[in-house]
Amino acid sequence: MDSGETYSASLIRLWRVYRTTKEMCYDRGYDVAEEDMKLTLQDFAARYMREDGEPDRSKIHFSAIPSEAMMKKYTPIPTAKDPDPTPQIGTIWVEFNADENVGLKQLRDYMQHLVNGAYYSGVMVCTKAMTGMALRLLRGSSSLAEGPKGGVEVFVEQDLLVNITKHELVPKHVLLSSEEKKQLLVRYRLKETQLPRIQVTDPVAKYLGLRRGQVVKIIRKSETAGRYASYRWAI
Amino acid sequence: MAPKSILKTPTVSTNAPLSSSTKPVTQRQRNTAIYHANIISQQKNVENEVLEAILTLLDFPASPDADPSRPSAPDALRFQELIMPFQPSDYDSLLEERNLNGSCGYALCPRPKRRAPSTARKHFRDTTKGVEIVDKKMLEVWCSDDCARRALYVKVQLNEEPAWIRQGGASEKIELMVDNAEEHHNALPLRLKRETAKATPKILHDDEDDAAAAWAARDDALADLAIERGEKPGRLSKANKDLITAQIKERVGNAPPVPPSLPSQTMGPSHMAIEGHIPGSAGRAVPVSDEEEDDDTQDWDKHLPG
Ligand SMILES: [Zn+2]
Repeated sequence: MDSGETYSASLIRLWRVYRTTKEMCYDRGYDVAEEDMKLTLQDFAARYMREDGEPDRSKIHFSAIPSEAMMKKYTPIPTAKDPDPTPQIGTIWVEFNADENVGLKQLRDYMQHLVNGAYYSGVMVCTKAMTGMALRLLRGSSSLAEGPKGGVEVFVEQDLLVNITKHELVPKHVLLSSEEKKQLLVRYRLKETQLPRIQVTDPVAKYLGLRRGQVVKIIRKSETAGRYASYRWAI
Repeated sequence: MAPKSILKTPTVSTNAPLSSSTKPVTQRQRNTAIYHANIISQQKNVENEVLEAILTLLDFPASPDADPSRPSAPDALRFQELIMPFQPSDYDSLLEERNLNGSCGYALCPRPKRRAPSTARKHFRDTTKGVEIVDKKMLEVWCSDDCARRALYVKVQLNEEPAWIRQGGASEKIELMVDNAEEHHNALPLRLKRETAKATPKILHDDEDDAAAAWAARDDALADLAIERGEKPGRLSKANKDLITAQIKERVGNAPPVPPSLPSQTMGPSHMAIEGHIPGSAGRAVPVSDEEEDDDTQDWDKHLPG
């Protein structure tokens, strides 16, 4: 690559979005190659730039497999009834939608694709916000027979231009496993409803793909107290 | 006994400053909570219903040869049924979704939407009123002006009121602008009620559609008038009735006529009576007194968090 080459603003934008998306999958616990998260603009352009200089979104999609640790974290506590529970996580499919507007039709096609490909869940990154009806379908999709088991998440490219969790003022959020959550509640003699809450629509919760009922540990650094942790229940 | 209010109170009183002065406050609050919970769940149901309807109408009509000006009776009937819970904004969503699908916005039309002559954002367009500048998007909603007319004819009939507070869901049937009305009359009641009432010929012409629109407008006006008068218009929901009752109370600003010869002991401070009327007493159809208002605020405060 010659270093004097300049790239279109939209290509640079999408390169950033791509990297954040890879980091997000990594932070959730999926297996992601280090070089993907560090992909240079030149390499990105070499792979995904069209002749007219614009990014080719149809080529950027990828899938990711949960790491061992992630599988463990998402495995429910064994019970007498279900002594060997299956992990509530699986392969994720990430797609970058090129359409100017995403509506019901596109969302439904995407869900169908996830089901056909036997993906556990999906992330769709759109150039703009979806239509109101598509969002309505999305809200109800966990109860919908046609969607994938793990649901569909939708991001707007704008939201992934920077990785918010890398901001110095955002404390570290760590998802607790079912086992860890149980221990926490026993230790403090709490009911989960007594914990402070975090909305699943909160930007960090969304980044981590938190589901209702999960608990995150939030680790803050304090000049006076060193590090301290708090816990929040996702609603 | 205190005189009975002339205003009919619903059996399950929901907002009831009118009749609640005798009931324990907690009951009133419980009712209010139930009332709001019901509204929320009904709202959810309607929203899902609208979503399902739009999903169905996305691939409508089934036949690629369907003629929007002469829809088949089953298609027309289905369309009419599906859009009954719609508000105009839901209808706009339907147009948006069909357009994103590449289809003409009118749900009874199988054709693709029109393409603007170029990708420019604004376009000139010849109309009867001269040349107009319109958004590209506006040009690409329909396949033809005819479909635009038929689709908008449906939109203007949609109820602005959300279906979850309409009486018994959505009761009013939406009329379609069709050129084969006689086929439909055999199959479905296109404005059957009004037809019989007016005993008009069975074939629907465009000017009769205007007449129908006028009738609809008149019905709406009558309903509005009824509300203003504090009557109980049949088409209004329980929820609305409650709101209206409250309004009447404020507007009347007067006690109902009380026979001056009945100052009973149980009525309380009869010495306060002015020409037989005790101001602020018993909370019947009188303006809400300051005292009562204060009570109300306190009741609500108890339920506010923090
Ligand atoms: Zn059309």
